[in-house]
Amino acid sequence: MKIIYPVLYLFVFSLICDGKPSVSFNHEVLPILSKQGCSQGSCHGSPHGKGHFRLSLRAFDPSLDSHTIFREELGRRINPIEPEKSLLLLKPTMAISHEGGERLKPDGFAYKLLREWIREGCPTPEEESQCIKLEITPGESKLLKWPDFSLQLSARATFSDGSSRDVTRLSVFTTSDENVAVVDASGKVSGNNRGQVAILVRYLEQVQSIHITLSRKPEGFTWKAPPPVNYIDEKVYAKLRLLHYPPSPLISDATFLRRIHLDLTGLLPKAEVVRDFLSNETPDKRSQLIESLLDSPDYAKYWARKWGDLLRLSRKQVGEGAVYKFADWLERSIATNQPYDDFARDLLTAKGSSLLNPEANFIRTTINAEDAMESTSQLFLGSRIQCAKCHNHPFERWTQDNYYGLTAFFARTKTKKLGKSGETFIWNAKEGEVRHPVTGTHLPPWVPDSGAFEMPPNKDRRQVFAEWLTKPGNPFFARVEVNRIWAALMGVGIVEPFDDFRDTNPPSNEPLLEALSRDFVKSGFDRRHLIRIIVNSNVYQTSGESNEFNRDDTRFFSFRQPRRLEAEQLVDALGQVTGKPMKFHGVPVSVKAVHLPAPDLLKRNRSMIGDVEFLKVFGQPERQTVCSCERAGDAGLGQALQLFNGKLFHGMLTAGDSLFRKSLSAGKTLPDIVENLHLSALSRFPNEKEQAIALTYLEKATDKGKALEDLCWAILNRNEFLFNH
Amino acid sequence: MKLFPPFFTACLLGHLVHADPVSFSKDLAPILLTKCQSCHGPKKAKGKYRVDTYARAVSKGAGDHPGFTPRNLDESEVYYRLTTDDKDERMPSEGDPLTGEQIALFKRWIQEGSKFDGEKDASLASIIPPPVHPKSPERYPSRIPIQALAYGADGAELFVGGYHEITVWNPKDGELLRRIGNVGQRVYAIDLSPDGRLMAVACGAPGLYGEVRVMDTANGKLLDVLARTPDVALDARFSPDGAKLATASTDGRIRVFEKHEQAWEIFRKFANHSDWVNAVAWSSDGKRLASASRDKTAKVFDLESGKRIVTFSGHSGSVNGVAFHPDGKQVYSTSEDKLLALWKIEDGKKIRDVYRFGAGAHKILSHGESLFISSNDKIAYEYSLKEGRQQHQFTGHEDWTLSIAFDSLNKRVASSGFNGRIHIWNHPDAKAIHSFFALPGFSSVDSANN
Repeated sequence: MKIIYPVLYLFVFSLICDGKPSVSFNHEVLPILSKQGCSQGSCHGSPHGKGHFRLSLRAFDPSLDSHTIFREELGRRINPIEPEKSLLLLKPTMAISHEGGERLKPDGFAYKLLREWIREGCPTPEEESQCIKLEITPGESKLLKWPDFSLQLSARATFSDGSSRDVTRLSVFTTSDENVAVVDASGKVSGNNRGQVAILVRYLEQVQSIHITLSRKPEGFTWKAPPPVNYIDEKVYAKLRLLHYPPSPLISDATFLRRIHLDLTGLLPKAEVVRDFLSNETPDKRSQLIESLLDSPDYAKYWARKWGDLLRLSRKQVGEGAVYKFADWLERSIATNQPYDDFARDLLTAKGSSLLNPEANFIRTTINAEDAMESTSQLFLGSRIQCAKCHNHPFERWTQDNYYGLTAFFARTKTKKLGKSGETFIWNAKEGEVRHPVTGTHLPPWVPDSGAFEMPPNKDRRQVFAEWLTKPGNPFFARVEVNRIWAALMGVGIVEPFDDFRDTNPPSNEPLLEALSRDFVKSGFDRRHLIRIIVNSNVYQTSGESNEFNRDDTRFFSFRQPRRLEAEQLVDALGQVTGKPMKFHGVPVSVKAVHLPAPDLLKRNRSMIGDVEFLKVFGQPERQTVCSCERAGDAGLGQALQLFNGKLFHGMLTAGDSLFRKSLSAGKTLPDIVENLHLSALSRFPNEKEQAIALTYLEKATDKGKALEDLCWAILNRNEFLFNH
Repeated sequence: MKLFPPFFTACLLGHLVHADPVSFSKDLAPILLTKCQSCHGPKKAKGKYRVDTYARAVSKGAGDHPGFTPRNLDESEVYYRLTTDDKDERMPSEGDPLTGEQIALFKRWIQEGSKFDGEKDASLASIIPPPVHPKSPERYPSRIPIQALAYGADGAELFVGGYHEITVWNPKDGELLRRIGNVGQRVYAIDLSPDGRLMAVACGAPGLYGEVRVMDTANGKLLDVLARTPDVALDARFSPDGAKLATASTDGRIRVFEKHEQAWEIFRKFANHSDWVNAVAWSSDGKRLASASRDKTAKVFDLESGKRIVTFSGHSGSVNGVAFHPDGKQVYSTSEDKLLALWKIEDGKKIRDVYRFGAGAHKILSHGESLFISSNDKIAYEYSLKEGRQQHQFTGHEDWTLSIAFDSLNKRVASSGFNGRIHIWNHPDAKAIHSFFALPGFSSVDSANN
């Protein structure tokens, strides 16, 4: 094999190289390495790289990358004399085996770009302009109607020197939901099914997303919906109509009764309550029930527990003394309907002893400024910013600088343990800054929408942050709580997961979220008002059964998504039906599971392992993080076994003084007992078939008590009991 | 004679139809090495099948059939895998499939009896006949880093690593004297034998092959190709008596060859390092070897017993250079961590960090009572063992200094850099004499810049 370098080639070559390289390292080479997957986290962008070749994750450190590619190991990766022989090109084209697979094709755009850059001697000029803007065409959200389910996107970058260029081929395109639509490397979107999708476009540090709705009318479809009760119904129905998902019918009184009790208080309605409600003929009995439940202490206790989950309220985290105080504080906040902005301010700016100021325990549970910021971010900004701690966020606009800029608000908060009962003192120091972990420079406080913050001197930084957070126009604050409450009531958030707001995870119904947020703010952040308006709507009171047209809707609320009872709800429900509620250490006997201040009240509870086990198996969170994901929602073999013959359940059923055994010895008739069981467990009367089966079984049995155990076991294993539907 | 035409035709036809038999080492080993060995080799053996030696290639993996069964295509697992339509079983499992011609070679070889005359347990890299390297470009269009440099015996010639060649320059005026071709793509070390007649060149192409070529210094004739590995060779050093040659490679092995008339035979092999071996050095009595490795250690070996004597751990980066103290009881090492360290052989402990450079430092050239060391801080250093301190600095490089050579006869120091330049100074006053690009035909004006 001979190499022949014609003089002509060199002549032409020398004409081209008149000073300015034709391939830009920062604007072309790095984006290509990112787009082809070279610098992703599972490959060369991982902390130790792969095969001794380490790039910065998605090119967030250009000078490291240029050093690695051009200089490291005596420049073995590039060959400016015969560029095609560079390792940088041989490996990704699989000319030499490459574990990362084929990443470049020799006749492709990316390969030619890299080859030219190498041929030019890998120029990396110091002064290259920054990309300051990325624009996607089409820019606004798009509606695609079947059969026109494809859309070509293009991306244009503008730089600090005023120039702009098309960067479609250099940008990375990803879809938020492959089931709805996919997008290829050239930016062509192809729809698969009706629904909504966000297409993320990334070029260097710029990230943009385009929201696309795909609509397709199924055969035989006709729109039918009950008249809207409030603006929630209007907004939801508008979206459902666009996507051709007709809502399921409204629910019966019995279903409503059970559902509203579980959602507002976490408890099943007692048999007498069911009887009363079902026989009540008042036209607005549902609204009245809602009011009375919102006024009940059970509501406050249950919703306080929800906040307990998020605020890491456990004996381990806040100490012996503060556990009950903090739980009480939360309960009082809900019971008195403390406005949400007040609530947030209290938690964020708390100072002093964690025993005297229970709300200070939020800060107490945070380990350091970064943890405080991450928790605050997830809870109050709905944003999982953690990824940006070490590099620029892969899916969002957060950069590493932003992460530390936000942390600066918490840099002066100090805590000190005082010894007894885990009491901790929290105060604000006069000094304290955040340093960027790599450059070491101090980072000034920074907030997402306004950017760098002018800090008035001598002002409590946390105070300033809380003021910014709760100011009326803040786009982040209200939406997060609105979505959280919506998700608690409906089972699915408008943004899902409910603490993961980002451009690439758009709300399933933006007008709905917007309207609710505005209403929430206008009401003075009145949480009860928000709950009230939601549960009074048709959308809330829709059946959990789907029809042939809305069957695959998981996001748009055409029917209620059934969900299994939470661990605590289940334990309490079982206890209520069998009359043998579980007892917990550290609280009075009457306290229900859904009202427990914390999951770990007993220091050494290994002897109670059977009971604790049940709650854990069904997903009770340990409260170690502020993430909603801690409460496990998935099913498992352990759960099936607990309901089959678990220790706790077995104990409840076979107890000598269970409710049905007591009724039996008190002389109640079998039909009566059967009826009570159904009312208690399922919140409705048994139908004829159920009565017949039950009574036949019971009459045949010699040991009525044992037979009732069996019947009870059967009812409590029904999905109708186990699910909130 | 009547038979002649048909006989002749038959021979001719026969010759045309029966081409040369397929050679395992020439035709198939290169394919197996580049396309198969990374998943079916010593590091990773998918399906328990390896191809890195002939013996292994014709054995069974986890499946029912061996890789190759003579004259039996159906029972040759490799052939099945190369030609099957089943996507999950097709080999290579990633990337483009083998070409029709390549598959035909395998087929013919099996049909011809899957023979191989060579060493059945030798690595593929070593049985593939050494390549004849392509011609170097007339004019270099671009700079390349120069990491290999050596003065000729009388100081009238400077041997410099080039692209597929050794370029020989007049150190007085930077004139190109001659070019010695048929060398690997990049040159990592050049060492002249004590009598100056032979030249050992450690070279290779990154990711593709590595070898040490022994050549005649005067006429550039290739005498032997040694230490063939799948990636580059990084160092080659003659023993003080010139009878042995030690090589250091990216496969983590040190190979010592012994001269037998014109050929070099393997004498010892050391596989103790867990990463690239960057450099080797001989003790003055020729009985011991020291090595420097990217695994952050340096080691000392005894040649007679073939054992490792001691390992020096403590550098926080790749160890790039190594040298014995003249007393033979201590060892110096240089590293990416910017340090020159001194170690005691007896107990393996570090005596102290002797000097700190401004950046990572490269191979050590020891000469008499001095150590010559180049560093990425753009300075070439002379460290005096007698005085126990860094004595002279040779400055002027505009980019990383990669290697260094000393002409004791004419009192000159030469050093090469990452940007392809050679600088020459007077010794010991470090007065700059001369500098030039050791890149034939290269002109910085009309070529690409960095």
